[in-house]
Amino acid sequence: MSESLALSASLEDYLEAIFHIAADKKVARSKDISNRLGVNNSSVTGALRALAERGLVNYAPYDLITLTDEGKAVAEDVIRRHEALRDFFVRVLSIDAQTAEEGACKMEHVIPQSILERFIEFVDFVELCPRAGTDWIQKFESFCKGVPDRQLCSECITLVEGKPESKPDEGRERQAGTITLGDLKIGQRARLVKVRGQGEVHKRLIDMGMVPGVVIAVERIAPLGDPIDFKLRGYHLSLRKEEAKLVTVAVLEEGRV
Amino acid sequence: MEAIRKITVALAGNPNSGKTTIFNNLTGSRQHVGNYAGVTIEKKEGECSHRGVDIRIVDLPGSYSLTAYSPEEVVARRFILEDRPDVVVCVIDASNLERNLYLAVQFMELEVPLVLNFNMMDISEARGDRLDVARLSETLGVPIVPTVGHRRQGMSALLDCVVEAGRKKKAGIVPTYSPDLEQALRLIQSRVNGNLKGQSLPSRWLAIKLLEKDPEFARQWNGSAVMEEAKLQSARLEDKLEESAETLLAQERYDFISRTCEAAVHRESPKETLSDKADALLTHRVYGIPIFLAAMFTVFWATFNLSSLPCEWIESGIGRLAATVSSFWPAGADSPLRSLLVDGIIGGVGSVIVFLPNVIVLFLAIGLLEDSGYMPRAAFIMDRLMHRIGLHGKSSIPLLLGFGCSVPAIMATRTLENRRDRLTTMLIAPLMSCGARLPIYALIIPAFFAVQWQAPLLWSIYLIGIVLAILSAKLLKSTLFKGAAAPFVMELPPYRIPRLRDTILHVWERCAMYLRKAGTVILTISILLWALTTFPQQESRALAQAELTEAAGLVEEPADSLSNSYAGRIGRFLEPVLRPMGFDWKIGTALLGAVAAKEVFVAQMGIVYAAGEDEAPLRQRLQQNYSPLVGFCIMLFCLISAPCMATVAVTWRESGSFYWALLQFAGLTVLAYILTTAVYQVGVRAGIGI
Repeated sequence: MSESLALSASLEDYLEAIFHIAADKKVARSKDISNRLGVNNSSVTGALRALAERGLVNYAPYDLITLTDEGKAVAEDVIRRHEALRDFFVRVLSIDAQTAEEGACKMEHVIPQSILERFIEFVDFVELCPRAGTDWIQKFESFCKGVPDRQLCSECITLVEGKPESKPDEGRERQAGTITLGDLKIGQRARLVKVRGQGEVHKRLIDMGMVPGVVIAVERIAPLGDPIDFKLRGYHLSLRKEEAKLVTVAVLEEGRV
Repeated sequence: MEAIRKITVALAGNPNSGKTTIFNNLTGSRQHVGNYAGVTIEKKEGECSHRGVDIRIVDLPGSYSLTAYSPEEVVARRFILEDRPDVVVCVIDASNLERNLYLAVQFMELEVPLVLNFNMMDISEARGDRLDVARLSETLGVPIVPTVGHRRQGMSALLDCVVEAGRKKKAGIVPTYSPDLEQALRLIQSRVNGNLKGQSLPSRWLAIKLLEKDPEFARQWNGSAVMEEAKLQSARLEDKLEESAETLLAQERYDFISRTCEAAVHRESPKETLSDKADALLTHRVYGIPIFLAAMFTVFWATFNLSSLPCEWIESGIGRLAATVSSFWPAGADSPLRSLLVDGIIGGVGSVIVFLPNVIVLFLAIGLLEDSGYMPRAAFIMDRLMHRIGLHGKSSIPLLLGFGCSVPAIMATRTLENRRDRLTTMLIAPLMSCGARLPIYALIIPAFFAVQWQAPLLWSIYLIGIVLAILSAKLLKSTLFKGAAAPFVMELPPYRIPRLRDTILHVWERCAMYLRKAGTVILTISILLWALTTFPQQESRALAQAELTEAAGLVEEPADSLSNSYAGRIGRFLEPVLRPMGFDWKIGTALLGAVAAKEVFVAQMGIVYAAGEDEAPLRQRLQQNYSPLVGFCIMLFCLISAPCMATVAVTWRESGSFYWALLQFAGLTVLAYILTTAVYQVGVRAGIGI
């Protein structure tokens, strides 16, 4: 990324804020943005101009603000980085939600993609690996609180040497965050992990039964490639790719059911 | 036992669960039903009486949830919360149990006296599902009545249950959720109990709504200690369980349903149903769109061809009637009454009734598409295209209905949640050529064009309307209605074989409406227009003669009585404006009438060219007087210009603003004028069709 095109951290924050506000209220006003970021109105105006110049937002003074497709992509990327970092802090490092949120906010702008991917993979690895698992993280938590108990180590050693027990079922599911309903092929089935986003779409999707744990199958794709018809809870529901991308899933198995 | 006389019952349930069929069965009314979500968009009331109790039944629009997302859901929720019906009957599609029970669970949270109606039991049974209704009823603490709506099975049992529930006023069990959630609810509830603000709603339900951050209640309680507590609890849950409170609640409701169903429902492992097979073809990657287009073409082809013979019968019947009525007067005698009866009423109304067969076939076809469940597929197939022009796949349902009549089409825009999409669809809906414009095409096309061109020409008129609608939508979306696109979340119901009774009922209603319109609005306007064309009268002798010469060609001199009549004067006043489109003042008077109702155009042409003694059909007269180019221009202008009064009125009501209706009216008329003028001028210069 060349220097001139790279977005400053604060501009990325603006994009993120607009994205969240738009998800909440459909449209953003500069007042909402200044409230959310805790900055004054004139800085918002300046930032919006800068973003509009880069073609990331549609902006005219006193008008509603929307993200362009490109702006949306950038914002989604920032949010993905934010969520991945926050998850890492909370779930692996056992840092409290508030601090994790703040830390993620700062780091999301500077962390290189490749390191981030490794973070995500590490979270998956820690949770899936029979040698690690969630209890391993819990032990790390108590270690941080200053109770290193050597006694426990020998316990673990015998545990690991004793039985190489695997968790076949979970091992086959690819975990969290990376795959969405929009990425699935016809005939694939997946277990819902999370519906991202907020506001009305989110509400409608969960009301329609798209809650964590439900199994969803891809039935067919419309002739023009969009929308997609899914089957869940014994009925057909169709979504555009755009909405399907909000739903992260874990793929269950290949092939026609 | 306490005697009750009168109870109010709300019929609620998911969209397309068959509420209206049940409603029709219970009340004997004939509300429109169809196989897609959102056929009922306003609450409808009916009454019946059962075992000495008068029951007022309110059919609510379908809702997936009480969270109120679309305008119809708001209507349903408001009625339940504010009017507090004595009994809520939750109609449930038994073949889609889990999703349908989600709403029922919310009614249980609300602690209203509830009856569950498991409808469409036949489909569920045909699939091999076994429902232990008694056990489910016991677990939920709610009476359950299985029914098959379209066969009227179980109606009396349902009424028994409703009366009983109205007497007992007993709610079902209150579903309990996970300890985390229950704790949060308890804490909020204890605060709610302290300051209920005179609300009669259960405090637990309020706690749930506040935890869900329901916009209506959050606003109402904003700033209060209760709201603070709710926010705190919701944040705490989110922190602990890493999901928003509303997701957690939804998940717990679905878990509750799964737990309940597990013991009482035995489901065959799903196999590929006939409906799936049909979808594999009808929404096929390659064949889907050609099939859609072919289906549309077939509809128009059938409308024109299947009905040509009956149309001729009616036409000759009306001709004979006119002759019979004429014969009451001595030949050659001139009587205003004869003229009123023959030229005004029979000529005017008759020329509209002639097209009844076309209307029947068109509505039959639309009815079959609606009842089979093809409409949502059309939305599914077309969404990508609609999305590209800035609309929503769901817009294709109102737009397809628009081929029947703009009025239901504009009302059907309520299924669109997004206001910008809704207004755009509403404004362009009249460009979908409606059934009332069909008589105009049916009059003009055979008059000027050879048989092999007739169907393609009709198709092309419709196509022009569609193309213009697309362009207008794009224009509106990039100017007045800018903004982010609304999401596409739509259920595809299983196909059903349309039931003869429903389809015939549907067609009959439409025809009755058409005939009623012919008997009232069009009759009145025909008489009015007749009067305008007949008065003031000149010497009676010259009249018939003068009219014949007038009819023979485009005579400019206003010597005869017709052009001297009020209508003629208005027409001639307008003529300079109409000339560039190739229209004379006679067409002008007919166009004025068309503003009231499109069919009046045909009626008025009938009056203008009614020569009384001469029985030459109207088409022949047109052929003698106008060129094919003018014929085409008439169709083009009628297609685009000023929607009829009923459309303007319904746009006004549905958009909530007179200005939208005005914009629609003026915008379309200006567009029609510009385009028709362009076509005529180019045509004349290029020597096409003159």
